[in-house]
Amino acid sequence: MATVVKRLDLAIGELVEVAGRRYEVVPDREGGVTIEPPITSAAELHARRGTKPASPDDFERLSADIPFDDEG
Amino acid sequence: MPDIPVGGPPRVPIEFGSLEWEEEVERYGPRSAARAHAQTARKTIEARTAKLDWKRCKADGPGGTKLPGCRKLYVPLSKEGASQAPYGFVFQLIQKPDHSLAWNLIAFGERHPANARTRNVYERAHKRLQGRYP
Repeated sequence: MATVVKRLDLAIGELVEVAGRRYEVVPDREGGVTIEPPITSAAELHARRGTKPASPDDFERLSADIPFDDEG
Repeated sequence: MPDIPVGGPPRVPIEFGSLEWEEEVERYGPRSAARAHAQTARKTIEARTAKLDWKRCKADGPGGTKLPGCRKLYVPLSKEGASQAPYGFVFQLIQKPDHSLAWNLIAFGERHPANARTRNVYERAHKRLQGRYP
């Protein structure tokens, strides 16, 4: 029996639901797209919780002695 | 040794939001090494018994990642090199409605994934902060 291919016209950032689970359309590293479980944005979480990013001054006050390394 | 600098600023609590934990840690299988290491590290952090080897994240990092206001811990805790500590937590300093501060988990994952298609922890953190991958 031939496999039926479902063709989806999806854009980056859209959400799709497969078998009851949600996935987000994201770019892959080869110029195409793939789907992965969504990552809820910090902005959305801040809005839900009434939080916000701390000020750069607060961050520097707490992190002045913390080193960087060669990663991100 | 507790993570409280003598004479330094007051200790800021470290928080693991349930949604972030689900999206970052529970995406790994229940028996995966990544999930086990994350759970062990979280227990240690919450027990406040270990000195935490924090590192700052970069506002302009490799691969275009932008993580201002963030710090990281390598996992397993107290390990350093990528082979010994292949995972990382990234936390953002946040201000809560009562104006108190907290370090909030924003990403967990591999520092240097062997699979080139896998997003590293810094890219995941960038996506959570900036809304899309770099």
